[in-house]
Amino acid sequence: MIGFIKKDLAMIKSNFKLLGILIIVYTIMGLMDKMDISFILPFMCVMIMISSFSYDNYNKWDAYSISLPNGRKNSVKSKYITTILMTLVVSIITIILSFIISYVNTQTINYEQILVTMFGTIFGTLLVLTFMYPIIYKFGVEKARIGIFLLVFGIVIIGSLLANFVNLSNGLKFLAFLEDYLIIILIIITIIMVYISYKISVKIFSKKEF
Amino acid sequence: MENILEIKNLCKKYDNFELKNISFTLPKGMIMGFIGENGAGKTTTIKAILDIIKLYSGELKIFGLDNRKDERKIKEDIGVVLDDMFFPEILTPNDINKTMKGIYKNWDAKLFYDYLKEFSLLPNKQIKTFSKGMRKKLEIATALSHHPKLLILDEPTSGLDPVARAEVIQIFQNFIEKDDCSILLSSHITTDLERIADYITFINNGEIVLSKTTNELLDEYGIVKCTEKEFMNIDKKDYVKYKKAKYEYEVLIPNKKEFKTKYNISIIDKITLDDLMVLMIKGEK
Repeated sequence: MIGFIKKDLAMIKSNFKLLGILIIVYTIMGLMDKMDISFILPFMCVMIMISSFSYDNYNKWDAYSISLPNGRKNSVKSKYITTILMTLVVSIITIILSFIISYVNTQTINYEQILVTMFGTIFGTLLVLTFMYPIIYKFGVEKARIGIFLLVFGIVIIGSLLANFVNLSNGLKFLAFLEDYLIIILIIITIIMVYISYKISVKIFSKKEF
Repeated sequence: MENILEIKNLCKKYDNFELKNISFTLPKGMIMGFIGENGAGKTTTIKAILDIIKLYSGELKIFGLDNRKDERKIKEDIGVVLDDMFFPEILTPNDINKTMKGIYKNWDAKLFYDYLKEFSLLPNKQIKTFSKGMRKKLEIATALSHHPKLLILDEPTSGLDPVARAEVIQIFQNFIEKDDCSILLSSHITTDLERIADYITFINNGEIVLSKTTNELLDEYGIVKCTEKEFMNIDKKDYVKYKKAKYEYEVLIPNKKEFKTKYNISIIDKITLDDLMVLMIKGEK
């Protein structure tokens, strides 16, 4: 098991340089109080994980991994564990930078705001990734990319259509109620989501042939 | 003799191809050459053994254990070189070492680095900088470094020049002698197999045509070169396949001794695995 995780970590290692540059850019932009680009690191996280699937696919690692002990299960498990590790590390970096930037800019730290942002980031990143993984395992990374594009596009359109019909003020009241429990709700949803996604991916991969 | 690999009635159906009742056994300590033309079903059989494709029906035992129930245990002791399937090419041999250390209980890092040295592969270079031959060598080094009891090799010498091929074949031979292991080796390069294989299993169009020891095969089978008139006198059951060449008939016979006593044809050539394959596949009955 550990071996599979090490392999995935070794693969994303090659992206660390780019990640480092983005962190610097992010910090500078934040300190200049120009623009909030806190989305960029989680976004990068998504891109790195998806590119790791592309590399796997290119050299048919998935098929090879099945020839290794417990390969079918462990190669999926390691992807999820690496994803969670990566998301947490990136989020922690983001939160530390946010504290620093917030303190330098305003001499105060809005803990609550930053924590909500961080959990929101983790939730958002894992939402996208865990949604994609079963699709990638089922249809391959190339097709999944198109699928995810269509999906996001669909959500935006449906969302904006709904927004026209639904009474917004009721919705906002509901959101205000949720806000008190926001972090705890996000954590629970994230755990459930990752778990379900993992189970589906394992099932798909256990039947997959190459 | 103990069997390392037993395959019984393995079937697998695809839309345009089918493995039909594949059965053969590989005894302990032996090298089996698995031959057949492209698309005959060699890789599909190997994938079925490794569970990369699911069996349609049939029974597969490795080390006497069921290939699916005891999958984990079995795979600890198998080393593989697969055609075109390996680690992502942005990784380095160092990464492979770290990975495999966490996967195989018996991973021998020292042995792995010894092989790298022997093959002149730099441990910190990405796989993508390696030539095709170097990649194959790395795959072989990876397959050998956890002291497997069974090696499953799909075209391990393809892409290697004659010198490297000889080198690799020597390593396989050493491996067999040292650890009393077995090898299933699929290859087009039949001259390599004549040198090292104890058994030959020949697959054609998804079916096993023959599975025999190499000595038996090369001793018993032969090619008769004769005129049309002579050919007409040969009983159909005394030959396997024939091919009409420009001036003569080439006839594949399964038993040289019997043939000599029965017919008055003196020119019986020794057979090579290449001849056998060509006549079996292209010949007529």
